[in-house]
Amino acid sequence: MPREIALGDALVPGLLLVFIGSMLLLWGLDWLAGRYGLYRYVWHPSLVRIAAFICVFGSLGLLLF
Amino acid sequence: MSMTDTGTPLPASRRVVVDTLHEEAGTWLFVFKTLLAFYITGWLAMRLSLPAPTSAMLTTIIVASRQTGMVLAKSFYRAIGTLGGALVAVLIVAAFPQEREWFLVAMSLWLGICAGGATFFRNFKAYAFVLGGYTAAIVGLPVIDHPPAIFDSAVARLSEVLLGLLVSGVVSDVVFPSKMRDVLRRTARDQFAHFITFVQGATGGSIPREQLERAHLRFVRDAVALEDLRSSVIFEDAEARARSGHMELYNQRFMASSTTFQSLHHLINRLARAGRKASAQALIQLYAPIGTALAAPIEAGTAAKIFLPRLVQARKAMQANAPVLRESMADTTDRRDFDTGAALQLRFIDELYDFVDAAAALQAPQLTGGVAERMRFVRGNDVAGALLATTRTTVTMLLLGVFWIESAWPVGSGAMLLATVFAALFAVTPNAASVTSSVLLGYVLGVAMGFACVFFVLTRMDGYGLLVAGTAPFMIVCVVMMIRPSLASSGLGAAIGFVNVVGLQNPMVFDPVSLINNGMAQIVGVGAAAVAFLLVPPAIGSIWLRRRQLERLRRQVALAAEAPLPGLRQRFESVNHDLFSQVVAQTQQGSADSRALIAWALAVHETGRAMIELRLAMSGLDMTISTQRIMDDAVQALARFYEQPDAKRYLLARDAVATAIAATSEAEHTCVLLDNLHLIRLALLDGESVLAAYMPQMPNPEEIAHAP
Repeated sequence: MPREIALGDALVPGLLLVFIGSMLLLWGLDWLAGRYGLYRYVWHPSLVRIAAFICVFGSLGLLLF
Repeated sequence: MSMTDTGTPLPASRRVVVDTLHEEAGTWLFVFKTLLAFYITGWLAMRLSLPAPTSAMLTTIIVASRQTGMVLAKSFYRAIGTLGGALVAVLIVAAFPQEREWFLVAMSLWLGICAGGATFFRNFKAYAFVLGGYTAAIVGLPVIDHPPAIFDSAVARLSEVLLGLLVSGVVSDVVFPSKMRDVLRRTARDQFAHFITFVQGATGGSIPREQLERAHLRFVRDAVALEDLRSSVIFEDAEARARSGHMELYNQRFMASSTTFQSLHHLINRLARAGRKASAQALIQLYAPIGTALAAPIEAGTAAKIFLPRLVQARKAMQANAPVLRESMADTTDRRDFDTGAALQLRFIDELYDFVDAAAALQAPQLTGGVAERMRFVRGNDVAGALLATTRTTVTMLLLGVFWIESAWPVGSGAMLLATVFAALFAVTPNAASVTSSVLLGYVLGVAMGFACVFFVLTRMDGYGLLVAGTAPFMIVCVVMMIRPSLASSGLGAAIGFVNVVGLQNPMVFDPVSLINNGMAQIVGVGAAAVAFLLVPPAIGSIWLRRRQLERLRRQVALAAEAPLPGLRQRFESVNHDLFSQVVAQTQQGSADSRALIAWALAVHETGRAMIELRLAMSGLDMTISTQRIMDDAVQALARFYEQPDAKRYLLARDAVATAIAATSEAEHTCVLLDNLHLIRLALLDGESVLAAYMPQMPNPEEIAHAP
C-alpha cells in the first residue's frame, strides 16, 4: 500500500485512510460489545475502547511501513 | 475506639464544609481536564506544525463540558458542521474568486441559512449548523485576497478542529469520565416511580383540577427531559446506544398512558361536578383494581416486572366488575357516561401494561430482541423563528462587510469572523442580547489578560513546559469562570478572547501593534453581534413566538383530524409534549399566560387524542355514506374550532358532535364510536375548561348529562 494516495489529485496520507478504516472497525466492535453487554465485564470501558483502537490502528498501520 | 459514632449525623457546619469540598472537587476536575485537553492539543498541533495551533486549542475550550456525553455529542456534530462548512467555503471561493462583493453576499447568505437551521433544530443538530456557518467564514475570509490558498486553508482548518475534537473526546472519555448514563437511568426510574405512585394515589377518587394540571406539567417535563438526555447519552455509552430504541418506546408509552390517565380523571371530575354522582362513583369503583395492582412498593431493587401479572389480574377484575356496576344504574344517561368511562379505563390499563412492559424490558440485564416498531420523538420546530434568525444574521454580515469594504480596514476580516461566530453561537439562546453583552465583557477581560500574558510573561518563557506554566494561571481563571453558572458566558468570552489574542504559534511572534489591532477588531466583532441581537431580538421568548406556539399547539387538533393515521398517535403525542415544554420554559410559572397555556394544552391533548382514537375506530368500520359524512363533518368542525376559536365555531362544533352522536347511536355496529364521541362532547361542554369562554352561557348540569 502506498504511503500517499491521490484522491481527485489531492495527495492524502495513506495513514489517514487507515485511521478512518480503524475508526469504522472500532465502531463495529463497540456496537457488538454494547449489544451483548460485554462492557459489564470491564472496569473502565472507555479505556478498553481506546486500547482496542490503538491495537487495531497500530497493527493496520504496520501494513504501510 | 473513637468518640465519634458513625451513626450520628455530621454536624451542620462540618457537612457544609464537606459538601463544598465535594462540589469544588468537581469544579477543579473540570478545570484539570479542560486544561489537559487544551495543552495536549497545543503540543500536538505544534509538533505536527499545523498553521494555527490556536484554533485547535480553541476547539477544546468550546466543546468543554462537565459531562462526557455532552462533549462527545458536541464533538460529533461539530465535526459534521466543520466538514460541511469547509466544503461550502471552497465552493464559494471557487465561484467568486475575483469578486469580493459577490463573495461577501454569498457568504452572508450561507451564514444566515446556517443560523436559521440552528434555530430550527434546537438540540445538538443545531450545533452542526452553527459550525457549518462559521467554519465557512473562518476558511474563506482569510484567503479573500489570495483565492488559490483556499484548499490549504480548508485542510488546515479541518485538521486543527478534528485534532482538537479528538483530544477532547479522548480526554473527557478516559480521564475520570463523568457519565450521564447514570443520570439517564435515574431519571427514567424516577419517572416510572412517580407516575406509578401518582396513578395509585389517584384511586381514592377525584383529583382537583390544579393538581391534575401540575401533574401534567411534570409528566411533560419528564418526557422531554428523558428524550434530551437520551439523545446525548447514546454518544458516550455503547450499551445505551443499543437500548436507545427501547428507551424511545418507553417514553412514547409513557406519554400515551399519561394522556389517557388525564382524560379519565377529567371525565370523572366533570361527572362529579355535573351531579352525576352515580356514574362517577361507579367509575371510581371500577378503577379500584388498578390501585391494588400498583400497591407494591417501588424501590430501587424492585423490577417493574412484578406489576405485569398484577395488571393482567386487575384487567380481568375490571372486566368482571363492569357489567355488575352497569346494572346497578337505572338511568340510561348514567349508563352511557359509565360506558364512556369504562372504555377509557380499559384503554388506560392496556396502555399502562405496555408502559410497564417497556420499563421491565429496559431494566432487564440482558437485552431481548429488537424493537418491533421504531418510535421517533418528533419535535415541534418553528419555521418563522428560523427565518428571522436567517434575516438577522445575513443583514449583520452584509452591514459588516460593507463597512469593511468602505473603510478598507486591514483587520476587518477578524471583526467579521468574530461577529459571525457569536451571532451563530447564540442564535439559539433566549435573551441572546444580554448573554452576548456579558460575553463581550469577558472578551475585553480576555484580551487584556492576553496582552499581559504575552508581553510580561511569555517573553521570559522558553519551551513548551514553561509556556504551559506561563499561560495556565490565566486559563484557570477563565475556565473557573466558565463553570460558575452566573459567570459562564463571561468566562467563555474571556477564554476565547485570551486564546485568540495570545495566538500561540511556533515560533511565537511578539508584535504589540498587531495584537492590539486584532484584539480591537475582535471586540468590535463581538460588539456587532451583541448590537444585532438587540436590534433584531431572537424570536425565542418573545410574546410573538409564544402566541405562534400556542396557535401551533391548537392546530395539533387539526393534525389529529386530518393527518394520515399510521404513526399519528406518536407524532401527536411527541410534538404536543415538545411544544408544550417549549412554551412552558418561556413563561413565568403561575402567571396568567402560563395558566391559560396549560389549560389549552390539556384541552388540545384530550380532544386530539380522543379524535385519533375515534378515527382509528372509524377506519375499521363500514358505515353508510350519510353517517360517514356526518362523522367527517364533526371532525372537521372540531378542527376548525381549535384552529380559530370563537363562539360561532364553538356552536358549530358542538352541534356537529351532537349530530354525530345521534347518527351513530342509531345503528348497532357504529356504537363503538360512541365512547370517544361522548368523551369529546363532554370535553367541549366542560364549564371549567378553557373553552368556557366561547360557550353561549354556562350550560346547566342537565345539559351535560342529556347531550343529545
